[in-house]
Formats: sequence, structure tokens, C-alpha cells
Amino acid sequence: MRWWVAVAWIEELIREAEKSVDEVEVFFVEGESVSADLKQKKVSLATTSRDCGLGIRTILKGRIGSSSTNNPEEWRGCLKAAIASGKLATPQTWDGLPGPADIPMTPLVFDPKLAVEPQAARELLDSMLLGAAEHDADVTAGSAGLSTTRVVLTNSHGIRYTDQHTGVSVSLEAIRDQSTGYEFDYSWALDRIDPVHVGERATFFASESAKGTDIPSGEYNLVLSPLAYAELLGNVFVPALNGRSVHAGRSKFSQSLGQPVADAAISMYDDPHIPGANGSTVWDAEGTPTRRIDFIKNGVLEAFAYDLKTAYRYGKKSTASASRGGYGGLPGIGHHNFVIDGKRSTLDDEKVIYIHNVVGAHTANPMSGEFSVELSNAFFMEGGEYQEPVRSAMFSGNVFDLHFTIAGLGTDTRTVGSLILPSVKINNQRIIGK
Amino acid sequence: MYGISYYDLRHVTGEVTHIDIDNGIVESSGTSFFNKAVLRVLVKTGWGVLQIDNYTPCTGSKFNELLDQAARLAIVTEEQVVLGDVPRGILPVPELKEDPRDVDIEEKSRLLAEIEMSAVREGIINRRANYIEKDEHVRFIDSSDNEYEYWMGRSGFNVLAVASRNGNVQMGYEREHSIHGFNLRHQQDVGRKASEIAVSLLDAIIPKGGKMRAVLDPELAGVFAHEAVGHASEGDLIQEGNSVLSGRTGERIGNENLTIVDDPTIPEFGFDPVDAEGVAVKRTEIIRKGVINAFLHNRESLASVGNGCAGHARAMPGEPPLVRMSNTFIEEGDATEAEIFAECKNGIFLKGSRGGQVDPGRGIFQFNAEYGYLVENGECTKMVRDVSLSGEILTTLHGITLCGNERKMSPGYCGKGGQSVPVSDGAPFILLCDAVVGGSGVD
Repeated sequence: MRWWVAVAWIEELIREAEKSVDEVEVFFVEGESVSADLKQKKVSLATTSRDCGLGIRTILKGRIGSSSTNNPEEWRGCLKAAIASGKLATPQTWDGLPGPADIPMTPLVFDPKLAVEPQAARELLDSMLLGAAEHDADVTAGSAGLSTTRVVLTNSHGIRYTDQHTGVSVSLEAIRDQSTGYEFDYSWALDRIDPVHVGERATFFASESAKGTDIPSGEYNLVLSPLAYAELLGNVFVPALNGRSVHAGRSKFSQSLGQPVADAAISMYDDPHIPGANGSTVWDAEGTPTRRIDFIKNGVLEAFAYDLKTAYRYGKKSTASASRGGYGGLPGIGHHNFVIDGKRSTLDDEKVIYIHNVVGAHTANPMSGEFSVELSNAFFMEGGEYQEPVRSAMFSGNVFDLHFTIAGLGTDTRTVGSLILPSVKINNQRIIGK
Repeated sequence: MYGISYYDLRHVTGEVTHIDIDNGIVESSGTSFFNKAVLRVLVKTGWGVLQIDNYTPCTGSKFNELLDQAARLAIVTEEQVVLGDVPRGILPVPELKEDPRDVDIEEKSRLLAEIEMSAVREGIINRRANYIEKDEHVRFIDSSDNEYEYWMGRSGFNVLAVASRNGNVQMGYEREHSIHGFNLRHQQDVGRKASEIAVSLLDAIIPKGGKMRAVLDPELAGVFAHEAVGHASEGDLIQEGNSVLSGRTGERIGNENLTIVDDPTIPEFGFDPVDAEGVAVKRTEIIRKGVINAFLHNRESLASVGNGCAGHARAMPGEPPLVRMSNTFIEEGDATEAEIFAECKNGIFLKGSRGGQVDPGRGIFQFNAEYGYLVENGECTKMVRDVSLSGEILTTLHGITLCGNERKMSPGYCGKGGQSVPVSDGAPFILLCDAVVGGSGVD
């Protein structure tokens, strides 16, 4: 393809690197994005960006060096810095970067209809405002963005992988008196998001919660929305499955393999091959062909996530869980489509407190799992009906313990970041009211 | 042809050096490079913004082409933006005691390893130390012929110690970051402290949540000022109608003894020689003697809202400026530490911070302490862990009844709109009555 010619300098980089190191890996990413922002109901700002990033890893006798730059023309300086950084690294067992595998190179999360144009962002904002008009609340801010990214992964073992991604994101904030509502959506494809619904939900929550009253402290049965559950799960539980944290003793699960870590109804897995899911990919950030990883099966912990470095060090196999944070970022352990699943049922046949979102989940203790959060847009709910809103209350507990008290998973499914999950019911939880 | 009424360009180039040592192993280290610019153009319908990677300074027709590109974006905007008149000028960047760039990476790595090793202790199963050094060269120009240029270096380290016993995993985390130069020498005490806290936390109890009197140490009280007051006073949120402080200038929100300030001019971690819109920086008293006094602004929110001063716009390299805090603190009062604990009598003492979050429109905030102690009869007794505080901006500040006579600032980073910028928070010891303390403990 034409773009491949444009990055011919990568071949030169690899040849140059091979003169002084055993192996080299080059990750190059280039993309365009556009966004438009609302200030109240008016579009106040439109932005475009062109980004690129080059990340180089070198390996010499088990010493891994790395550097990055956003100026590919300066790849020689970047390579020099990577080799220099390798000299400082402690050598480790290293069995090589992967070679090319026979895997299809068809982009899985690329929407050719998605135009990275300011008008397209503007139309998304207009759709959100249309939805927002359904309820009595004021829009305070909002944003819509579109992006396209081209990725190249190459290494000195012959890998020459390319991929293309697109992305579309929308978000809206609303307020009524002292009650706020927030909603967002993200996908790789334009027709997989619903901006009207996002707008409608933002003003719905702001207006519905405005009538909130205080509740007494006590034990309540709770339903966490996928969003609220993702906050707790993503900050504490998922990082504990990272192989590096596990072997370093930084994970609660260090000694738990083969043990129950959640209610027997719960399973958690990473499936990089779900058609249409945002994180779907056939190769990970190091070029290892991806596969499904069953972390938790019927409540029992069965696997951890590994990249090459961690796997080689601890005598394991890479689970193809390498991912990169941002442009030119170095690979680390992550996941692709992290799914929480199990038997589904309705959760509010009896009265529960439904919690749409929480404030402060990132302050949870990542080691012990203890958390304490403020509720956002919480309601008493029964039979699918939003009843009295709760004005303000605090919810404290332990994310790890909470997984043993899960009373059910809802019939809904939502993608939040790279998590795909339902609502979850937990009984007899302590709420600090007023 | 697009009727450009204003533009500015902020170009930042620099290097980031990092070292990561995990249980004695140098996991990674080295230097990366960046070159980013952001060009903002104002036309009569609003802002068009170009974010440019690898910007090469240019003039003439090449620069005009960039201006046109940015202005073309504004075909989708529809807001008339007015920019406030502002004072200009740049402060000198404080001199470095020792320039980190003069220390080679081998020596940095050796010193960091010493700190990491100092966290070795019985009961500690993992130690991790990180060094991070960012050097930025900032160039700013605008259409009003303002031009500024400065170099700014920030460096420092974190050390984490993890203790474990019978499935109980606890951590101690210490950080030291500075704008005053290289700070890795003679810091083994910091590693020892992290490990001491981690081990002690194995025996700490989780308190039962509820309303009580709380003594906050300077670090946590600083985060309190940042979360409970700082964010809600940001002019862009006020302008959007997304802050409970909106329209309340002159209202009493706390006691006479409470003054809360944001000051980018002081030589702490959030120091800014000139803001990201080329505006001279200035101290802003958000709360003065318990009364809402002034908001933090950029030029646009100053013109739209008033009450306060501009000079509070900040940006990550290549990102558009947002209204942000810098060095935020509660001013000293006249109480001694002993008086504060005596007045607390029975309650809780909370130390350190694991961060916090606020919903400024709702006026609700939450933040978390690293650890603390029960206070019984004015004395600290049992150690506690996993305690948070939450509250409402408009009522909680009245609960600050005593402020200590010595203030301390702590460095950190603050996130907003996807951007993270260096800040510092600080306060003296404070006594907070009717604090809503969260903890999952039971009687």
C-alpha cells in the first residue's frame, strides 16, 4: 500500500540497529483527529491534530532498551537513545521477539465511512443537543471527536504488520439546580454510537436527580450500573490480574491461582476476537497472535495476563496481552476486550438502590481493594422504574470481597473503555447517608 | 479572509528521562523526546485550534497557511468569544541548585537504587522506585506581539513498598518532586518511611464511617483545598454554569480564619513563570476570611464572568490551555498542633493523600487519606487505614474551626479534560468538625 512506501525509513532503521543489537522492534503510529466542544449549547471550539509517534525497543543479550520520539525524522537519535538505555537495564532471560505469523491483516476496527471532518463532529453535537432537549436540564459542556490512526509494527524477525483504526466519541454534561448528569459513548464505527441517546441520558439524570433526598445510613441492596461497576473493577480488580504485579507480589491474587475469587456465577475473560468490539485485534502490541484468555471461570481464578518480557522472566508464555498507552508508548500488560459474564436476570424485582456512577473510585486501595466513594445519580428502583433519587451518600467496601457477594448480573451489557460488562447486584452493603 | 481577530502559538520541545527499578531490577530507563505545538485562532464565531506534532517555527506564507487551516475549523463554531484585557510579563524561573542534566544517567540510576534498597525491611515483599525528569523549552507568541520563552525542569522520584501477611497486602508510597533541581541525593529516609508505613498498615484497623471530628495533616488538608474549593472556582466551569460557587461572590462559606489561595508565582511544584496564554501570573485569593472572593480565570472566562484574575491558563505540551490551579493552599492560622489535637479531643487524624475527585456542579467532593490514627482524649492511638472524606462544598468549609500556624506544600499532578499538569497543594494542620468519614469497618 502507498503508506508503506512512506515509512521506508523503518527498513533503514532496522538495518542500522542490527549492527549493534541482537533484535529491534519499531512501532510507528500516525493519525488525524478532529473535535468540537460545546460551551453550554453553543459550539465554542474546533480542534484538529496530526500526531505521530515512534517507539523503538532494542534487545542485546537480554538487556532491553527503549526510546520514543514524535519526530520520525530523528529516528537515528531515538535509536541511539534506545541502545544507550539498554546498557543500563538489568539483563533478563529473553527468548526473542516473535516472527511473522499467518494472520489476516484486515482492519477489524476501521470504519471507512467515518470522516475526520469538523462538520461531522458538529453533526454529532447537534444530535446530542436534540436528545438533551427531552428533559428539563441545562447543558453545560459537551464534546464530539473523530479520529483515524495508522499503525505499523515491525521487527528484525520479519514482522511487517499494519493496521488502521477509527474512533468516534461523544460526551455531554448537564445540570439542573445542584444536580448534574453526564453521559458518553465511544466506538470505532459511526453507526455503533447513539449521540441522541447520550444527550437524552445526560439531561435525564440531571433532571431526575434534582428531586433527590437524603437517606439514613444503613445496609441496602445495591445495583451498580455497568459504569459504576467498571469504575471499581477497572481501578482495582483488573490490575490484580496483571502477571507482572502478580509475580512482584503487588497483586492480591499472587497466591490465588486455582482458588475461588468471585461468586461461582461470575466469569471474566479477554476475548480479542469479538466481532465489532472496540478492542478487537489479531496481534498484540508486540506482534504475538492474540487468543482468548479465561481469567476467571465460574468464580475460580485460572490465568494471569503476560507480555513477552514478563513471560520470559517468570518462565511463562505470553498471553498476547501487550498493549501500548498512547502515541509511541512502550508495550506493557493490558487487555483487549475484557468481558464480565455469567447467568443474567432482572435485578430489581425487589426494591434496590440503583447507582449510575460513583465519584472517587481511583482513590481505592489497589492492593487491599478497600474503597469509599460518593454516589452519583443514585435512585431507589423497582421493576425497572426509577423511583426516589438519593441526593448524596457514601458507599464503602472492598472490591475483592464484594465479588463473593454478587447476587446477580443484569440483562444489560455496556462497553466502558475496554471493559464489556452488565449491571451487578450486591446485597447488604453499607451506605453512609446523612 | 477569515477575519482572524487573535492568534497565539505555544511551542514546547523537550526530553523526558525515566528510570524504573523494581525489586532491585532496572526495568527500564532512558530518554525520550518530544516537539509539540498548539496554534489557536480566534475568528468572530469562535476558536479554531491546530495541534501540531514536530512543529518547525515558520513565518510568512507558511505560517499564514497554518492560520488559515485553524480558522477554517471555525466554520462549525458559533460562539462570540471576548478576551479580557490582561497584564503581561514573565517571572524568572528559579535557579536549579543542581541541574539534573549535568548528572549522568548511571549515577541517577545508582542513587535511585539506593533509595529503593532502603525500603528493604522484614515484611516487605516488593519495592519499586521511579525517577522522572522533564525538561521543557517553551516558546509563546501571539498576534499582539507578545513573545515569551523559558526553560523549565522538573524532576523527582516515587518509592513504593508493599507489605504482605496472610493475604493482607498493604502499601506505603512516598514521593518527592521539585522545580529546584536534582533531588536523588541523601534520600534513603524516604524509602525507609515507605516501608515503615506499609508494614505498620498490616496491623491498622478500618474505622467505621460516620460524622466525626477530623484533624487533617498539611498534605491532606491541601488536597481538601484543591478538591473542595479549587476546581469549583475555575472560571471555565463558572462560565458553563457548572459550579456551585457560580454567582456567590461575597457569600460567607467558612469561618473568619479560612483563607484559600491559588498562587502560580511561588516557587513550588505548580510554579508558572507566565501562563499558557502569555498572561502574567498572579496570586488569587479564592476565599478571603471565609468569604468567596475571586475566581481563577483565563482571558475568555475573565471577560465573560469577571471577579478574579486571568493568568491561570495551563496546558500540557501541544494541548489547548484550560483554566487550572497551580499552587493551592489554605493560609496559616494561629493554632498550634497541640491545640488542634486538644480541641479535637475524640475523632480521627488523617494523613497523606491517595487523591480525590469533585463534581463541582453538584458541589460534592471525595478524597482519600493514606492512613491515620484514632484520636482519643487528644492523643493519637490506633492506626487506621482506607479512610476517605466526602462532603459538600457549600457546607463543609464551615466545619474548619482551627488552622495551624505552619504550612507545608506537597507536589502532585492534577487531571482535567484529559490533561495532567504539575501542581502543589498545601495547608497547615486543620481541625474539621462534622467531617463525613468513609470507612467500611464495623463495630
